[in-house]
This record gives sequence, structure tokens and C-alpha cells, in this order.
Amino acid sequence: MNIMTYIAMDFWRNLRNFGNSFFIIVLPTALFLFFGVSTDWNDAMLPNGTGNVSAYTMVGIAVYGAATATTSLAGSAAVELQQGWGRQLALTSMSHGMFIAAKSIIALVMAAFPVVLIYLVGLFTITQMTPGRWFSTAMLTVLASVPFALYGLMIGLAFRSDAAVGAASGALVIFGFLGNNFFPLEGILLEIGRFTPMYGMTALARYPLTDGQIVATGDSGMVGSDPLWILLISITVWSAVFAIGCILLQSRRTARR
Amino acid sequence: MTESIITIDGVSKSYPGGPEGRFRAVDEVSLTFEPGEVTAILGPNGAGKTTLIDIILGLNQPDSGTITVLGGTPRNAVRTGGIGALLQTGGLLPDLTVKETVHIIAALLPDHVPVSDVMEMAGLNEISSRAVGKCSGGQQQRVKFALALLPKPHIIILDEPTAGMDVSARHEFWDQMRATAVSGTTVLFATHYLEEAEQFARRTVLMHQGRVIADGPTDEVRTQAGAAHVSVIWEATASDIQSVPEVDSYDVQGHQVRFRTDDADAVARYLLTQTSARGITVKPASLEEAFMQLIPQRHKVGGAD
Repeated sequence: MNIMTYIAMDFWRNLRNFGNSFFIIVLPTALFLFFGVSTDWNDAMLPNGTGNVSAYTMVGIAVYGAATATTSLAGSAAVELQQGWGRQLALTSMSHGMFIAAKSIIALVMAAFPVVLIYLVGLFTITQMTPGRWFSTAMLTVLASVPFALYGLMIGLAFRSDAAVGAASGALVIFGFLGNNFFPLEGILLEIGRFTPMYGMTALARYPLTDGQIVATGDSGMVGSDPLWILLISITVWSAVFAIGCILLQSRRTARR
Repeated sequence: MTESIITIDGVSKSYPGGPEGRFRAVDEVSLTFEPGEVTAILGPNGAGKTTLIDIILGLNQPDSGTITVLGGTPRNAVRTGGIGALLQTGGLLPDLTVKETVHIIAALLPDHVPVSDVMEMAGLNEISSRAVGKCSGGQQQRVKFALALLPKPHIIILDEPTAGMDVSARHEFWDQMRATAVSGTTVLFATHYLEEAEQFARRTVLMHQGRVIADGPTDEVRTQAGAAHVSVIWEATASDIQSVPEVDSYDVQGHQVRFRTDDADAVARYLLTQTSARGITVKPASLEEAFMQLIPQRHKVGGAD
């Protein structure tokens, strides 16, 4: 038995799926080039001097890309299992635990893909951060994408179709907008956005850069701050909501059988 | 006495639903299978064939009863590559190619037949780089067949293997099956094609509403229901016909008289020696008739159940 072969082949299958790769890799990279590189305000340093605005934008868009990867892979894994491929796998030596482990590795590698790509684009263009912050924000970005695996799983369990999982990944653009990922929000949108799922995870990934300060456009500079504990509560609550959704859907499914 | 390779003892499985609150998909089934045996499990949709197969493969747990496969649990037999199966409802991933599908499953088995050999055996070489989602139903069945052969199994289980194939593809499939089964592999297949049971299985198990209603050599199962048809050309009166011995039923179409009987010899002897009947043909009843005969009467009468 060779689980690495399985992981490599399944990874390649997902990577060459254009629908997946477009939202996971192409779209975030393009968004970064638009919002994080080509506009002139990106050269400005952040008020606390840890990096420039491009770095701030880069992290937000990388979180969006990584979250899209985990959503889409966890969701399609759930659909796969329910559409009968799980029965085929149940006739092999691979246990359910190994399946979950293998899919987690695939999802994390896929989540790291847009992060590495966007960071490389940033590195070779205008993005500035201290070396330690390049590393810590990248790690936190991949970590922040993990709760979205539960979101994808929930959608996969609920709708059992690849189209629904695709729509759920697509809907992340809205979460990304409200989560402050693409360009700085202010006023009412920011107040609403703070309660949406991607906000806490994005702010956590940016924490090494901002120390929790909320950046705004123009001259207003910092418009407030998010203490770390509030971000952690936001992440915990949303993770719990998705996890409970998964458990309820799973028990509904088992009861029917 | 050889040791049984599969022993099923008093296995039941029910699901929620049905008039009594539970629907008994498999009801007190006991069966044993010997090494090298080729057995057909025959029954209409909903007879419990797939549930029983799922239990043998460890994909489903019985509510009661015990099952031993290759001396251990079904899961253990699967994990060690002792069973290969072609699942009726097992899906394939549409975006893998045929060859990738075989490769990815091979990677998850403890030991396997070389991928190129299996591709050859299942006749997949000319479609090896085609995406599974673009294959026809029959081609997908062949891919699943390749996956069943892959672990070099002692037992091959096929759940409606020729579903979606045309007649010639079905024959080709069974020819391949026969070629691979000569090496003493135990084969168990579910089907609702009666001729597949007649042509390929020495033993037939008939299932209906979760129960085994007949089990034995395929020839015997067929005769168990009685039956043969004796037809003759005979200008006979009603009383002539009624005096023929050992007749279950008959019908008359012009001068063609057709008798259904449990004792074809007696009927034929009487007709040829005591009457002017001619042009005699004797035909054993089909498995389908055996099947109808064996289904308890109450199920045949609409609304009585």
C-alpha cells in the first residue's frame, strides 16, 4: 500500500480541475495584482511601519485563496464519499482515518499553493515586510484557512453535489469582501463585516503586521483595533457553528440509513 | 468436506420505513459458500441482494446474525485483499482517466496484480487515457471489473456486473469472467438476468423480500418449481385434454395444446401412446417461471398483502 501515490494522484486530479484552480489560484493572484500591486497607494508604509499597504492587501487576498482551497477540497471530499467513491475506497486497505488524513494533507498543500504564489508575486514586485513577518503571516494564513474546511464539509454534507460546493467556494468572494480581505472597509460595512466568518481569520493572519489595528483608506489611517482575544472568539464561534452543522447533517444522514 | 469460504448465519438487516415501521431488507439469511463455487444470487429489485452483498463486504453491519469471510471479519478479508468486488452503486471519479482509476486504487491495496495485466484482462487498453466520466455505462462496468480483479482476490463479488451492457458486451464480459475464474476463485454475482444465472452459475440462490426462497444447483432450482412445458399438435376435445395425467395447467391455441407439468415424462408418454397428438416438444421452464412459482402465493395476488 502506498498512500503517497494516492495523495499525489488525488492532488493532481484536483489541481488540473479548472473550476477549482481558477478560484483557488488564478483569481486570487489576479486580485492581488489589481488591488495590491498596480494601485499607487500600495507603496505607502503602514502607520506602524511594519510593512507597506501592499503587504496588508497581500495577506488578505492570500487568506481568501487559501480558504477557497480548503472549502472546495473538503466539500468535494464529502461529495465524493456520498456519491459512492467512498464505497470503492472502503474495499481497499485504506481506513476512514487515513482518508481524512490524506485529504487534510491535500487540502493544506492546495491552500499553501495560492499563498506561496501570491507571496512570490509580492516579493518580486512592491511588497515590503520584515523577513519574520513574511513567514509568520504566511503560516497564519494557511492556519486561518482550516476552519473553512468545516464550512466546505458542511455544504458538501448538506447538498451532496459538486455544484453546491462550487457555489460555496464562489460565495467566499462575499465573505472576503465583508472580511476586509480585498480593500479596507469603513463605517457600517466594517461593523457588519466584523461578524462574518472570514473577518477574524483574516485579522489573525494580519496580526503580525498590524498588531490588531484596523487600516483604512486615505488619510484616516487607523480606524480602530481588534484585540487578539476578540479575533480568537470570532474564529472559535464560527468554527463551532460549522462543526455543529457538520455533526447535525451527519447524524441526519446516519439516522436515515 | 472443504471449509466454507463464506459463512452467513441468521443474518438480518432492517431499515426504517414500511408498514410495520421497519423494512426488513435481509431477513434471517443463512448461506455458506465453498471455495471455487460460482453462485448466482437472483431476485427482483428490492429482494435484498445488494444489502446482503454489502454485509459480506463489510460495507454494512447486520442487525443480528454472524458472518465469517475467509475465517475472519468481512472488513479484515477486504483489508488483506481477500475479496474483490464490482459494486453496483459504487461510483467512480468522473475526472480520473481509466488508467489513473486503476492506479489510484492499486496504490491502496496491500498487494495487487500489475496494473497493465489488469487493464489487459478487463479489456481497457484502448480506453486507458479516457476520462471515466466520458466512458459508456458498459465501459465503466469494465473499469469496475478491473478494480475487482486488482487485489488478486480469493473471492470475487459482482453486483449486477452487466448492468448497462448490450447483449454482445454481456457475452464478452462473461467470457473474460470465465477465463479469470478458472483459477479456483470463488465467484458470487447478483443479477436479474435469468440467462446469466443459467449459463454461468452452477448454484443459484433465489431471494425475495429479504429471504432465501430457493438454493441449490441451478438445474435443480429450475426443476424445483416444477416444471416443464410439453406442447403438441392435437385435435382434442376438452375431456380428452382433462384426461391427460400429471398436468398442472394447460392452454389451447387452435390445435396447439401446451401442458405445464411436474412430470414431463409421464405426460409425453401418455400423449404419444394413448392419443393422436403429434409434433411433441418438451421444454424446461425458465428460471423466471421457477421464480414466480417459488414466490409465496400471497405476494402474487395484488392487494392481499
